[in-house]
Amino acid sequence: MTTTQQPGKQDLSWLDEVTMTELERNPYPTYERLRSEAPLAFVPVLGSYVASTAEICREVATSPDFEAVITPAGGRTFGHPAIIGVNGDIHADLRGMVEPQLQPVEVDSWVDDLVRPIARNYVEQFEDRGRAELVAEYCEPVSVRSLGDLLGLQSVSSDKLREWFHKLSVSFTNAAVDENGEFTNPDGFTPGDEARAEIQAVVDPLIDRWIEHPENTAISHWLHDGMPPGKTRDRAYIYPTIYVYLLGAMQEPGHGMASTLVGLFSRPEQMEEVVDDPSLLPRAISEGMRWTSPIWSATARISTKPVTVAGVDLPAGTPVILSYGSANHDSGTYDAPTAYDLHRPPLPHLAFGAGNHACAGIYYANQVMRIGLEELFEAIPNLERDTGEGVEFWGWGFRGPTSLHGTWEV
Amino acid sequence: MPAAISVSGRRVECAEDQSILEAFLRAGVWMPNSCNQGTCGTCKLQVLCGDVDHRDSPLETLTADERASGLALACQARPLEDTEVALRGTETGRATHLLRDLTATVVDVEDVAHDTRRVRFGLEEPLAFSAGQYVEVLVPGTSKRRQYSLANTAQEDKVLELHVRRVPGGVASDWLFGPVSVGDRVEVRGPLGDFHVPDMDQDAGEPMVLIGGGTGLAPLLGIARTALERHPDRVMVLYHGVRTEADLYDTDRLTELAGTYPGFSVVTVLSRESAPGHRSGYAPDVFVEDIASARGWSGWLCGSPALVEAGVKAFKRRRMAPRLIHREKFEPADRRGPGA
Repeated sequence: MTTTQQPGKQDLSWLDEVTMTELERNPYPTYERLRSEAPLAFVPVLGSYVASTAEICREVATSPDFEAVITPAGGRTFGHPAIIGVNGDIHADLRGMVEPQLQPVEVDSWVDDLVRPIARNYVEQFEDRGRAELVAEYCEPVSVRSLGDLLGLQSVSSDKLREWFHKLSVSFTNAAVDENGEFTNPDGFTPGDEARAEIQAVVDPLIDRWIEHPENTAISHWLHDGMPPGKTRDRAYIYPTIYVYLLGAMQEPGHGMASTLVGLFSRPEQMEEVVDDPSLLPRAISEGMRWTSPIWSATARISTKPVTVAGVDLPAGTPVILSYGSANHDSGTYDAPTAYDLHRPPLPHLAFGAGNHACAGIYYANQVMRIGLEELFEAIPNLERDTGEGVEFWGWGFRGPTSLHGTWEV
Repeated sequence: MPAAISVSGRRVECAEDQSILEAFLRAGVWMPNSCNQGTCGTCKLQVLCGDVDHRDSPLETLTADERASGLALACQARPLEDTEVALRGTETGRATHLLRDLTATVVDVEDVAHDTRRVRFGLEEPLAFSAGQYVEVLVPGTSKRRQYSLANTAQEDKVLELHVRRVPGGVASDWLFGPVSVGDRVEVRGPLGDFHVPDMDQDAGEPMVLIGGGTGLAPLLGIARTALERHPDRVMVLYHGVRTEADLYDTDRLTELAGTYPGFSVVTVLSRESAPGHRSGYAPDVFVEDIASARGWSGWLCGSPALVEAGVKAFKRRRMAPRLIHREKFEPADRRGPGA
């Protein structure tokens, strides 16, 4: 399937020119055109159909005629069975494995004690300096340290956890394929392979220990929970899901915090409102997640039978990438979607996905972001963006600011 | 049949087959929500009265116990009748002093500064309040109520002390700078307002800075004295900002307080003239000059909206946490707001 022209349909040959570099730098113009011309379209560089509007993303994500599939680059990076790409009994077992710790009642019982001291520790390291690069010095470390401690990876430094998710992310989104569907940049998987080898070298001994001596860590629970006495889940079975966590769950709360900050900096009066009244933070974060959705285009579904979506006939077995970051800029749903606006009508968004593969960590992630920003504004209520430094967003699969320089009077 | 949902006094019509969450969001009522399909639990709320159908709420997200205790998932539940709910995490049930209607008697009227009077009202029975709160006074012979901050501590509960600034043509001014006389009986309602000293168990003795503009000094006197009695060694700076030296009052009283409590200091700030013993300028700016870091301090602001806004900015500039910034805005007498 190398041409995007379909008889009697809109001429989509412009899609042949779309490159991965372009999508990673700024996917919005391409997807804006897709939303208006073809909300479900085959995008050659991705080798896949793409859903770009809120309506079609939601339809595909919740349709009984589709099930989950991991993107090819994602599957190459994580291996099988990753929780995001499996269905049926395996999916039910993996969700049953991760969900008990992520229930709101459960999260509420420990999240403040976990995240707040971590956030305080990081903010203390720069609060008297008067400036900081908030992505690398705050948003990412708070995110990875919190989840790392929850998983039982206290022995792994925050910088190493950050390095792992960056490497896994590069490989997971190394999506470009040629006309034969072959990856055009196979070297792009090297960082992910390196990270996986390092992760196994660190996590294998921990798993050995937790098999014999269960602890109250997430991975230890995954080994034991719901298993007959004396049995544990096979490590090969849970590793792909460990990678899902070490990429997405590590990276995205950091992305979400940083994007929310950039959004608030773009509206100084709204920034001031939120600093003065931290109870507005959940709303500010929700809008940040809509405005620049961290999981921009990283999940997919595959049709289980012939189906027609948005007027396009798809045979059984057709993958469709769900571009939630585009859906959340759908002007059919949101006025002026490219603007961050704390006060826009708080309509639901798709940043956490939909259907039975919707993010399992929604509640946890929202609490991490809330506590992180609460502590930042508590310590530095006079925080401003350093306008001498630019802010650059990057990413098609996962998206957020690459850096964010803050400044304040000390 | 469509039913209505109420939250915090706001009533929203819920259309047939519309979830509570959807009804709220479409009416512009914010509540936390994420998945909108019953799996994340972010939109859990408390049903106070009425009844809801939980529809497809999963047992994993909303347990049987939670249902029994009146919790519901807003994204799934439909009201079966007019229903009142409360959002989680919002402050409810905080102890508060009862609002009461009292008859008071004018016991003392004193000119303390240019166009400024101290008026004392005697009560037949004590009034329970927290230092910093205000009362409403029904201006005799009118139906107008005016709000005045109390300069009292909670122990001084039988004689209310109010500071009043004259506003030409104002109905309360016309009375309090005119025919008012000792023995006059007036109706008072109070206490009101959330600008008050923290409860004892919430007060760890952290440093405090207070900025009062003109008669905005009144509630700060009650707050400062209460806070110093609790923690005699605490660091506290009070800025009293006025236009000219003739507008200053209670300076001796504050100086005496500084003699008793070594951590307490008073700074008088004149915005329209210079005079020995006083700083010149705008009180929030003088605070910024004086205090290098207010990290961990609490801040108390009472005065005109402009003064309070400037004070908030000054406090944040010196890195005071916004949750520790307390504010009471008032317009000059006879418009509105306490302390006039």
